[in-house]
Amino acid sequence: MNHAFRQSLRAYLFLAPALVLFAVFAFWPVGYGSYLAFTDYSLIRPPHWVGLDNFRTIFENDMFVTGLRNSLLFLLIVPVIQIGALALAVLTNNQLPGIRLFRAAYYLPVVTSISVVGIMWGFMFHEQGTLNYVLLQLHAINAPVGWLSDDAIALFAVMFVTIWRGLGWYMVMYLAGLQAIPAEMQEAAILDGATRWQRFWRITVPMLKPTMMVCTVMSVLAALKAYQEVLVLTQGGPLNSTFTALYYAYDQGLKHLKLPRGLAASFVVSVCCIAIMLPCLHYFRPKHR
Amino acid sequence: MHQRTGASASGTRLVKRLLAAGVAAAAMAVSVSCAATQNIEFWTMSLKPKFVPYFESLVKKYEATHPGVTIEWVDFPGDLIQTKLVTRIVAGKPPALVNLNVPWAEEYARDGLIMPVDILMGTAKSTYVKAAIDDLTFSGKIWGFPLYSNVTVIACNTSLLKQAGLTRPPRSLDEQLEFAVRIYEKTGKAGYAPALSKPDGFMLQQGLPIVENGRAVFNSPQHVALVKKLAAAYQAGGILKDHLFAEDNFPTVIAAYNGGRLAMLTAPPAALNRIETDAPDVYAITKVVPAPLGPTGIVDGGWLIHFAVPVGLDPALLPAVADFARFITNDENQLAFAKLANVFPTTVAASNDSYFQKLSAHPNASEQAMAVGAESMKQSRTLYVAGIEDYDELRRALVNAVEAGMTGKQNVKAALDAAAALWNKKLARQAHQG
Amino acid sequence: MQIFTNASPSHPVRRIGQYLLLIMLAVLCVFPFWWTVVTAISSRGNIFEFPPTFWPQAPSLANFAEVFRVIPILAFYKNSILIAFWTVVWKLVLCSLAAYPLARMRFHGRRLVFGLILATMVLPSEVNFLVNFITVTKLSLVDTYTGVILPNVVSAVSILLLKQAFEEVPQDLIDAARVDGAGEWTIFRKIMLPLIRPWLATVAVLSTVEAWNDYIWPFIVMSKPEQFPLSVGVLYLAGTYGSSTRAIAAGTVLTVVPMLLVFLFSQKFFMRGMDGAIK
Repeated sequence: MNHAFRQSLRAYLFLAPALVLFAVFAFWPVGYGSYLAFTDYSLIRPPHWVGLDNFRTIFENDMFVTGLRNSLLFLLIVPVIQIGALALAVLTNNQLPGIRLFRAAYYLPVVTSISVVGIMWGFMFHEQGTLNYVLLQLHAINAPVGWLSDDAIALFAVMFVTIWRGLGWYMVMYLAGLQAIPAEMQEAAILDGATRWQRFWRITVPMLKPTMMVCTVMSVLAALKAYQEVLVLTQGGPLNSTFTALYYAYDQGLKHLKLPRGLAASFVVSVCCIAIMLPCLHYFRPKHR
Repeated sequence: MHQRTGASASGTRLVKRLLAAGVAAAAMAVSVSCAATQNIEFWTMSLKPKFVPYFESLVKKYEATHPGVTIEWVDFPGDLIQTKLVTRIVAGKPPALVNLNVPWAEEYARDGLIMPVDILMGTAKSTYVKAAIDDLTFSGKIWGFPLYSNVTVIACNTSLLKQAGLTRPPRSLDEQLEFAVRIYEKTGKAGYAPALSKPDGFMLQQGLPIVENGRAVFNSPQHVALVKKLAAAYQAGGILKDHLFAEDNFPTVIAAYNGGRLAMLTAPPAALNRIETDAPDVYAITKVVPAPLGPTGIVDGGWLIHFAVPVGLDPALLPAVADFARFITNDENQLAFAKLANVFPTTVAASNDSYFQKLSAHPNASEQAMAVGAESMKQSRTLYVAGIEDYDELRRALVNAVEAGMTGKQNVKAALDAAAALWNKKLARQAHQG
Repeated sequence: MQIFTNASPSHPVRRIGQYLLLIMLAVLCVFPFWWTVVTAISSRGNIFEFPPTFWPQAPSLANFAEVFRVIPILAFYKNSILIAFWTVVWKLVLCSLAAYPLARMRFHGRRLVFGLILATMVLPSEVNFLVNFITVTKLSLVDTYTGVILPNVVSAVSILLLKQAFEEVPQDLIDAARVDGAGEWTIFRKIMLPLIRPWLATVAVLSTVEAWNDYIWPFIVMSKPEQFPLSVGVLYLAGTYGSSTRAIAAGTVLTVVPMLLVFLFSQKFFMRGMDGAIK
């Protein structure tokens, strides 16, 4: 008993710094932030409970509603990224000479700061920029498109950048998953006369299911929480068309110091994320090795 | 024995006096050096890298004449400055002065993030142009030290005008539209490109209010008539169609003017410099004229930049802040800055300076622009709608309505009515929430 | 582990097709970088024109000199390096400390602690920036490196990676040490840590890049431009120079190159890191 107690004590001593930091910077904000979302907190006065007032305010606010809608629209990128990354992984899962270089190229956007990515794509998306030039040459468009200045298109331009940045990351995850598939299974299938296509659907995909689940969930959460791309590319414009829910929180909280609104918006995003995570966690638990 | 006592007594008194004097001197030295080291941090918006020498010399000059004060100059781009101001206020260490534009200042004043400067400005108030002070007066108090503003002038491509048979510049909006249509008919090029992403400013300049008594009134017969006029000119080809309603159509418009596709460019005088570098041939045939005053006598294009004082400053610092603020916005400095930046000063003496009045025998377009602009500055006000929360979403509704009406997608009155209904719903809710 | 590949040597057409596809995608990924470098190095010609120039014109370092003149870019470098360095140091220390008991000690509440740490991965942590900023303010850590580093210094992913690493150390080594009378702390320091050096390196590399590229949190915490790290500084640069694209491009190049070099030389760490994370 004494030994076990001492052992536990030792363990917690090791764990203490990390746990304290998690408590302060990971758990406390979620809890306290959620509480503050129901108050009229402005830094000078202590918070007073106002119930659902803040939520009423933000849901009547066009910027937030647009933002929420856009955050949900962002979910469109999830299938695109996942399928694209899987395709990239399959494409690069070989020993072709130079394949490492290609993998590095695809991963390059991931290791670049989002601020730099925003600036570079700002150049690409310029009216007289390369993207318009290429599309004009290919006769895909008739006149230069205002990718970031047209309020009907800007959101999709931002989503494209998110996809561009995320592909490499998920590609690596899928690569790891692919390389975990035992070679014997594939070889046995070839001996049995299975085509590539059959092998892909009957062996690869089922074995990748855990990876796909993890990646999809992460992708969904990332889509709901997207806001940094908006910050560097369009700052919410043009005409507020590229607002996302969390960008609204940033804008209201840190540009206009309207903290109750920012916190309420953060709370809504948290709830959406948790609502998605809970069923996934439940689905995962029995299968967890 | 007696002698010594007498001598030592007076000697002691002398020593005492000396000591007292020494202590007093030391105390004074200490108090002076304690009262010293006041640090004033002031923020400008997007004035680096061009004006680094100007501000650095200004800071040096002030520090030389004010030995107890250190000035720190920080510049932030316009898209970062709001966030940094807010985070500094949250952290309890706001800068002493910060550059803001009028709509931002109005919102921050309403939300209690900046403080009124009536007392700090004191008697210097009379040195500023009345229009600038009016711009910064909300709820009966003044909220900033005016720094510089702007005004719109019209740059005319004389060759296109001549082709259209026009001999004089337009003197009213109606004439602008009429000339624009005629230019299109005769030359096939557009004549006019208003900034319709701000239809509220446009209407205000024409003397038509946007909001009255908490209700949207931009669907009145006069407003409808104005939009119908614009629609007619648009559909007759007189108005440049590219990006007419985009958030910032200025790059498109100036490119069109430089390319000879636009006859009349309404822009601040600083734009003339860009025309000079980017399209010298068009610059050579450009004549600059004043923009027409609306029925209110106000010229378009006013955009006052000023120094506001954030809340949370150490009260002991305020007198030094006020002194520096008055210094940096005084006649001499404003004039110097205006010359450098091709903007307009907001003090009476500076704006009457002969620099703006005299013209060489053959003034080039830039000089014309400054002279014309200086005249118009006296009637320049920053035109915007004050006191409304989340204004951008409402403006967007108005922009969409005007666009639908002008392009013919929707009947003008119907579009404005729909937008007004939306505005009234939101305004009513805001009034209710107080 | 033998990697199964789709290599079939006798299909040159398919091979060409594969390479074409790979190249096209690579161009899409790399082109923005290339364009930025070209623009930064060129000193003549209109930047935005049709047709665009894909090759440097009149190469010169003038744009870079301009950036050094007006923006405190050396300060940005210093800040980035210091922030990245201290983040990595503290991260290695604290995460290995946390991972060790989870991997090799039995204690009350182990499952709960593990669950809590997993929970931080699924918490919507991006939404925390408002409250975290208030916390940092109340702790007077605004404008300090500590304020920037502290929230990032423990991460569930790093802990999991290191836990994985610890679990792979053979038990007999530990048993032998215990027989010799070594305490837990000694075992940790003298045996475990040295044995998981490759994993520590992986965490170090991943964390360096993450810390170097982090921009929103340092932007919120640091108030003066001289305190910004490069990732924030480049935005400051872009805003300051507005339409002077060449200067912005030069600043961007200066920001990206260090991380690019780190990435190129340590590619395998990234791939391996992912491996561990999946398990």
